[in-house]
Amino acid sequence: MSVPILICDDSSFARKQMNRSLPDNWDVEVTFATNGLEGLEAIRQGKGEVVFLDLTMPEMDGYGVLENIRKEDLHAMVIVVSGDIQPDAQARVQKLGAMAFVKKPIDKLKTTQILTEFGILSSE
Amino acid sequence: MSVQVTEDQRDCYQEISNVAMGQAADKLARLLDVYVILPIPKINIISASDLHMALAGANTSDNVSAVCQGFIGSGIAGEALLIFNDASFTDLAKLMKYEGSLDYHGELELLMDVSSVLIGACLQGIGEQLELHFNQGHPVVLGQHCQIDDLVKAGNHQWSKTLAIEIHYEIENLNIDCDLLLLFTEDSVAKLNEQVDYLLD
Repeated sequence: MSVPILICDDSSFARKQMNRSLPDNWDVEVTFATNGLEGLEAIRQGKGEVVFLDLTMPEMDGYGVLENIRKEDLHAMVIVVSGDIQPDAQARVQKLGAMAFVKKPIDKLKTTQILTEFGILSSE
Repeated sequence: MSVQVTEDQRDCYQEISNVAMGQAADKLARLLDVYVILPIPKINIISASDLHMALAGANTSDNVSAVCQGFIGSGIAGEALLIFNDASFTDLAKLMKYEGSLDYHGELELLMDVSSVLIGACLQGIGEQLELHFNQGHPVVLGQHCQIDDLVKAGNHQWSKTLAIEIHYEIENLNIDCDLLLLFTEDSVAKLNEQVDYLLD
């Protein structure tokens, strides 16, 4: 069964880049969201088992999405993909329950590594 | 020659700037042990007269100090302009553990230190993503304790319309803020757009 993936970023270029960075042979169903509110709604609908989440977004930012996932006890493995790579930003999202933090620009190698590391993708 | 960017190109410039500004902020954050607040970078096609407005909008009537640094490479040329609110220097001196009296010379030193971090990292970040290499010229102080009006005159820009990337940096819980403007020459925009189109493809 394909894995429901959510890509949440306000930049269409960033969404495209993220989509292109997904591993080739991974059976996924991708949903796109352009801000945190849309992203959260998609997660509520079960469309984000794995979420690639940007931090700086209008309406609701990535921190807000993480807070709400926790508050509503939603099921989502969140990988923050961020341009803000300061030590503080990394610590803040980890505290809010993000599974991993990846620095932009994203590429296929980084995505594959992180998915393998967390056992989402088997390493054969 | 008309300088234009499409909506997709603008979005791409914004995302690339966002990543580059994040890399620069990370360097500054680690250097000063602070958290830098990052806004969404502004991408505009502006004329020399708009530049005045962009700068005036970025800073109010406060006194400012500014550094300008040219860059060139891969068929692209431009200027980076870093404008500091003079009110920032007291907190900045504390963070940099600057010892001695904070006179013109002391402020100049701080201005040069911060601008080399921010301008260098930002240009490198943009260059890496667009597969371009920029060589940086020597930084030039445009003015200290002056008004934006004086700065624009001092810059004496030779172009009518250009691509401008504007990034406003603020440090959390401190009275430090500055604006980084990257201005590309008219002739560079076609080449830049070409590189952006590769990424968008």
